[in-house]
Amino acid sequence: MSDVGYPNRRIRLPRIVNYAEAPERTETELDRAWAWVQGAFVSQGARWRALKLRPILWAIWRYKRRYAKMTDVELKAAVRPLRIKLRRKRRGNHLPVWAAGEAFALIREVSVRTLGKRHYNVQVLGAWAMMKGQIAEMRTGEGKTLCATLAVAAIALSGRQVHVMTVNDYLAERDAEETAPIYDFLGLTRAVVLEGQDGPTRQAAYLQEIVYATNKEIAFDYLRDRAILRRAPGNLQRKVDKLVPGGGPTEELRLQGLPFAIIDEADSVLIDEARTPLIISGAGALEGSIPEYVYHAAMDAAKSMTSGVHYKIPRGIKRVEILDAGFDYLEDLTEDCEDSFGIPVIRDHSVLQALNALHIFNLGDAYIVKDDKVQIVDENTGRTMPDRTWSDGLHQMVELKEGLEMSQTNETLSRMTYQRFFRRYTQIGGMTGTAQDAAWELWSVYRLAVVKIPTNKRYIRKTDTDRVFRTADAKWKAITKRVKALNKKGQPVLIGTRSITASQEASKRLTAAGLEHQVLSADQDADEAAIVAQAGQPGQIMVATNMAGRGTDIKLGEGVAKMGGLAVILSERHDSRRVDRQLEGRCGRQGEPGRFEAWLSLEDDLMTGPDAARLRRVAYGVSFLGSRATGRFIRARQRRTEAAHAQMRRDLMRQDRALGDTMAFSGQLE
Amino acid sequence: MARALLSADWYRVAPLKPRLRGHVEVHRQLFRGDIWFILQDLHSGKYHRITPAANYILALMNGRRTMHEIWEAACLRFDDDPPTQSETIRLMSQLHSSDLIASDLPPDMEEIGRRHSKQERQSMIARIKNPMALRLPLLDPDRFLGATVSLVRWLFTPFGFVLWLGLIGAGLVLLGLNWDVLTNGFTDQVLAAENLVLIALAYPIVKALHELGHGYATKVWGGEVHEIGLMFLVFIPVPYVDASASAAFDNKWRRAVVGGAGIMVELALASAALIFWLNAEPGLLRAFAFNVMLIGGISTLLFNGNPLLRFDGYFVFSDLIEIPNLGQRSNKYVFYLIRRYLFGVKDADSPVTAKGERLWLFTYSIAAFIYRLFISFAIALFVASKFFFIGILLACWALFNTFVQPTLKGIRYLFSSPELRQRRGRALGLVGLVLVGVFSFLFTMPAPYTTVAHGVVWLDQDATLRAGTDGFVAQVAPDVDIGQPVVALADPILENRVEILESRLREAQLRLRSVLLTDQVQAQLLRDRVALLEDQLEGLQKRRADLAVTARTPGQVIVPDAGDLDGRLVRQGEVVGYVIGSDDMRLRVAIPQAQAEIVRSRTAGVEVMFQDAIGVPVPARLIAEVPQSQNTIPSRALSTEAGGDIVLNPAGITDLSTLQSVFQFEVATVEPMQISHVGARALVKFDHGFEPIGYRIYRGARQLFLRQFRV
Repeated sequence: MSDVGYPNRRIRLPRIVNYAEAPERTETELDRAWAWVQGAFVSQGARWRALKLRPILWAIWRYKRRYAKMTDVELKAAVRPLRIKLRRKRRGNHLPVWAAGEAFALIREVSVRTLGKRHYNVQVLGAWAMMKGQIAEMRTGEGKTLCATLAVAAIALSGRQVHVMTVNDYLAERDAEETAPIYDFLGLTRAVVLEGQDGPTRQAAYLQEIVYATNKEIAFDYLRDRAILRRAPGNLQRKVDKLVPGGGPTEELRLQGLPFAIIDEADSVLIDEARTPLIISGAGALEGSIPEYVYHAAMDAAKSMTSGVHYKIPRGIKRVEILDAGFDYLEDLTEDCEDSFGIPVIRDHSVLQALNALHIFNLGDAYIVKDDKVQIVDENTGRTMPDRTWSDGLHQMVELKEGLEMSQTNETLSRMTYQRFFRRYTQIGGMTGTAQDAAWELWSVYRLAVVKIPTNKRYIRKTDTDRVFRTADAKWKAITKRVKALNKKGQPVLIGTRSITASQEASKRLTAAGLEHQVLSADQDADEAAIVAQAGQPGQIMVATNMAGRGTDIKLGEGVAKMGGLAVILSERHDSRRVDRQLEGRCGRQGEPGRFEAWLSLEDDLMTGPDAARLRRVAYGVSFLGSRATGRFIRARQRRTEAAHAQMRRDLMRQDRALGDTMAFSGQLE
Repeated sequence: MARALLSADWYRVAPLKPRLRGHVEVHRQLFRGDIWFILQDLHSGKYHRITPAANYILALMNGRRTMHEIWEAACLRFDDDPPTQSETIRLMSQLHSSDLIASDLPPDMEEIGRRHSKQERQSMIARIKNPMALRLPLLDPDRFLGATVSLVRWLFTPFGFVLWLGLIGAGLVLLGLNWDVLTNGFTDQVLAAENLVLIALAYPIVKALHELGHGYATKVWGGEVHEIGLMFLVFIPVPYVDASASAAFDNKWRRAVVGGAGIMVELALASAALIFWLNAEPGLLRAFAFNVMLIGGISTLLFNGNPLLRFDGYFVFSDLIEIPNLGQRSNKYVFYLIRRYLFGVKDADSPVTAKGERLWLFTYSIAAFIYRLFISFAIALFVASKFFFIGILLACWALFNTFVQPTLKGIRYLFSSPELRQRRGRALGLVGLVLVGVFSFLFTMPAPYTTVAHGVVWLDQDATLRAGTDGFVAQVAPDVDIGQPVVALADPILENRVEILESRLREAQLRLRSVLLTDQVQAQLLRDRVALLEDQLEGLQKRRADLAVTARTPGQVIVPDAGDLDGRLVRQGEVVGYVIGSDDMRLRVAIPQAQAEIVRSRTAGVEVMFQDAIGVPVPARLIAEVPQSQNTIPSRALSTEAGGDIVLNPAGITDLSTLQSVFQFEVATVEPMQISHVGARALVKFDHGFEPIGYRIYRGARQLFLRQFRV
C-alpha cells in the first residue's frame, strides 16, 4: 500500500482558467419545459439518491485505518500527495468515489484530532452529496457546519476554490472560526468576507482557497466584477479580450471567478432570496432625472383623486391601476401646464407612483421612518434595510408623503438576478433542513437534485395538531396560557413570530401575564446567537422571529430532556412552509425530545388582505368544526402564497431572459 | 397605462456610443398623412419603418455621442411626447438585431454567432412551414436590367400608361364583342392534351415578362433588383423577382406600379393576344395566342391580382391604402381587439398607427383568413385527388397551419401569458363561454334544414292532345267540356272528297235501283261498288271526325300556344295541347346523389316556387322516386345551360347526359297546378325539419372526402 509518495508519472496540468464561470446557458423554450417535467421525477428521487451515495462509506472505511495509525506529522505529510492524487483523479467537476473517500478519511481523522469531533456517517453522506453537486436535506441539528468541512476541504484539496455561503455575517464568521483548525492542519488557506470590508481586503480574501461569506457579499462583489468585465461570461470571452488591445478588465477584479459554492440553508438562499434581483445603484450618476416640482405636483394630483373613480387597487397585486377616468382627469388638470408635469409620459407615471406611495406602501409595514430617513422593511425577514431604496421615483414619493427631505434619485449601475448568479457557478452543492418542498424548483431552475440524508439518531420530536382561533386576541390569550402552563413545569419555550411587530405583541402579552421572557429581534449577531443558545435552559421563555439566531445550536439544559425538551410555539404561519419547518427544527435536535405546536388564528397576516378574503370567510363559516378544519384553510392559503411567490420568481427569470435578449446590443448581461 | 420615462435598465445603454452602419439608407415617406422614415438595409435588402423621433435618435448616432446624450437631445426636441428610455432601448434592440448599428465595443463573437444561427433556423422553419411556396434564388439581374432599362423607360411615363390603357380598353371591348365565341367550348379547348403542351410553352414566357415588368419598374425609378429566382407554388415553378427596393420610393403610386407592373404586363399581353387571335388564321400561332390570353387574363385576375393572397395585388393594395405590412398588422389588430376588449388587458399595444386603419385591418384580417382557408383546402383537395398521400399530408399541414397552430398558441397564451394573470379566470371563462356558445349553436341549436333543387313540370303520355290527322287549325276553344272539340281542324280537300264520294255513292245507289229488277249480274256489280264507296266514305268521315281534337279524359285542357294556332297546318300526331287531371301534373326534380339520401329519407314537407312567381311558395308533396341513379335528366331545363344546376356532360351518350349521377323525384302540388305551368321550371324546396348546423357540416365534409378520394 504505497501509492503515497511523489508520483513520477506525467502530471496533467489543470487547464488555465482566468475567471471560473459557467458560460451563459443557452436554453430554448423546449429545454425549460423538459426541465420542468424532469423536475417532477427528480424531486421524487431524494431517498433513492441517498442510497446511491453509500459507496462513499465503503471508500472511507477502506482508508480509515491507514490514517488513524499515522502520527500528526505523518498525517500532515500525507496531505500533499493526496492533493496531487485528487487533482490527477479529478475530471472537470467529477471526483471518483474512491479518491473522495480517501480525502474524507483523512479529513475526518484531522477533525477528530483537532476538534475532537468525528463526522457521523450521515454527515459523510451529506458532504458527498454536496460534492456531487446536489442539495443535501439534513434534519436540523445534524451538524451541518461540521458536515460541510468534509466537502469544503476535499474540494479545496482537489485544487478548486470553494465559496462557503451562509445566510448572515455572524454565521460566516462563526463557521469559519469553528472549522479553522481542520483547514489549518490541512494547510488550506481561508478567509472570511464580511460586510464593511474594503476592496483590497476583499481582493486578498478571495485569493484564498476557502472563502466564507454571505451570499449577498459574494454576489455583490461578483456583480461589481461583472460591471468591470462588462461582457458575456465565459472563458472564451476572457481570452479574446486579452488579445484585443484594451480589451481586458480596466480595474482590478475582486473575485477569482465562481468556482464551487457550498451553500448553507440552500433553499433560503436559492429560493427565498431569489425573488428580488441584486442591484448596485448610485446616486445621480446620470443627469436627466425628473425635476423636484414634478413630484410635488404629482403628489397633489394623487391626493385629489378618488378611489374607484380615478384609480383602483386590483386584488392580489401590490400596485395601483389608474382608470381611464383618472387619465382624463389628469389631462384636464394639466391642460394649461407648460412644464414637465404637463408631459403625459412624466405626469401619468409620477402620479401612479404617488398613488402607490399613498395607498400601497404603508408606514410600519413596508417601511419605517428612522433618523428622518425612509427605511425599507424586508418582507421576508422583517428587518430594515437601511441601504436599500425603491426605484422609479417611488422612494422620493414616499419621502414626500412622510414630509421628509427628498433624497437624490438612485440610478441603477448594475443589476442581476440571483438565479443568473448561481447558475454562473461552475458547481454548487448545498445543504438545508428543508429542501424537499422546493425540490422541483431547485431542479428546474438550477438543475440541482435534492438528496434526503437519513438522520443519525431516531427522531422523537412531538408535533401537536394545529390549534386555530377565530381572532388574534383569542390566539394570544391561549398562547399565554399555554406558555404559563409549560413554564410552570419548567419546560423552556420558544415562541416563533412572523415579524418584529408580532414579537412585540407577544412580549406585551407575556409581560401582562407576569412571565419573564426575552425578545429577540433579528439582528443576527453573536449576542443574539448566545441568547438563543440559552433557549434550552429550564424555565426560559424566548420570543423570536423565525430568522433570529438561525444556525445556532440550542442545547438543552439540565433535566430539560426529561420534561419533554424545548417546546417551540409557532404563533403564525409564514408565507412558506419551509420557514415553518425551519422553526420546527429548533427543537428535537439530534434525537433529543422536543415539542412543536402551532397556534394560529384567522386574523393572521397570511389570512388578511383582499386576496384571502374569500378563503377567510369560508374558514369562519366552518370554524365550528374545529381546528382541524380551519387549519386546512390556513395551509391552503399558505400553499397559494407559495405558488404566488414561485410565480414571481419565474416572472423575474422570464423578464431577465427577455431583457437579456433585448439588451444583446449592449454586449453585457448585467 | 402610465409609461415610465426612465428605465431601470438604462445604465446598460447610457454609456454606449453607437453609430449607424454604412449600409443603411433612410427615406422619408408619408403614410396616411403622417411622416415616417424607412430604413433601407442595403446588405440584407430589408426595410424598417420608424417614427420621426426614432429617426432623430438614429441620426444622432455618430459613434461619438453617448446614448444618454442622444436620448436627452431627443427629449428636448420632442418635448410634448418624449421617447421613453424603454422605447429607446427597444429601438436599439431592434436596430441591433437587424445589424443596423455598430457599437464602440469590440464585437461579441458568441452573440453574433448565436444570432446568425438563430436567423438561419428561422428562415429554415419558414421554409418548412410553407412547403407550398419554396423559393430558389437563381441570379442577380441588376446589370442586365440596368443595361436595358433605357429601352423600356418610355413605357413608364404618362404616355406609356395611356398607351397601356388604350390596349387594355381595346382588349376589353373585343372581349365583350366576342364573348360567345371565346367561351364556347372553353373547357374542351383548355383541357385538351395538345393544348396543355402549348400552355406549358406559353406559361414561362408570360411569367418571365411579368417579372421583367417588376424589375424594370423598380429600375426605372432608381431601385436595384438583385434577386431573381424560382418559386414553387404547389410544386408549379413560378419565377419571382425581388423588387423590394421599391419600398424606398417616396411616391406611393410608383410603389404601386412596381407591385402592379407584372399584372399590367400580363393584361397587355392578354389584350394583344386577343387581337391576334381574332384576326389570325387558325393554326398553331393562334392557339398559342389563345393560351397567352388565358394565362395573362385568368391567372392574373385570380391569383396575382387578388389582394387577399400575398401576391402582387396585395402589395399594390397595401401601397394604395398606405398601410404597410397590412397582412401581419391586421392579424395583430384582431388579436389586440380580443385582448383589449374581451380580456380587458388595458396596456395592450394597438398596432394601429394612423386614423382609418382600424376598419381596413379588421376587415382584411377576416377576409384574408377565410380566403386563405378556402384556397389552402382547395389546393390540398386538388392535389389529393391526384396524389392521395401527398395531398393528405398537405391538407394536414394546411389544417395545422391555419387551425391547430393558432389554437395551440392561443391556449398557451391563455394559460401562461403574464398579462392575463389577474384576468385569467375571466379570459378562460369568456373563451369557454364562446366555445360553448359556438358548440351549442352548431350542435344543439336546431336550424331549418332544406334542400333546394330545380324541377320541371312534366306530363304523362296519355294526357297529351295530339292531332288525329293532318289539317289546318280552324278554331281553338280551350275551355270546353269532355267530348267537345278543343281544336277544330279544317281540311277542305277531305270535305271535297267526302262530297265526291257521297255523290258517287248516290249515283251508284240510283243505278243499282234502276237495274235491280232487270239485270241481276249488273246489279251485283253495282252492289259491290256501293259497298266499297260506303266503306271509303266511312273512312273519310272518321278522318273528318278526327279533325276535332277532343279531350278524352276528364280534366283541364290546355293548349300552350293557342293564339298562334289559327290557320296553321297541323300534322297527324303533333301535340296541340294537354289534358290535365287533378293529379297528373307533376314536377320532375333532379337531385345530385349527395343530397338524394336526405331527400328520400327525411323530407317532412315540400314547397314549390314557380319560375314566374318566385317568392310565392306553393305547398307540395313528394310523390315518387325513380329508384336508381341515372346519368340523364328529364329535361334540358334542369341543366346549367338553361339555368338549372345540373352540369351536362358534353361527351355524353345523349343530349341530356349528366356528369354526375342524379336521382329523379316526382313532386306534385297540393292544389292543382295552373295549366300555364306545364313545361315550366320551378324551384323545389324539400324541408327536412330542423337540424343543428354542425351535423350538416360534418356530413358535407364527409361527402366531400368520399367524393374526392373515392374511399
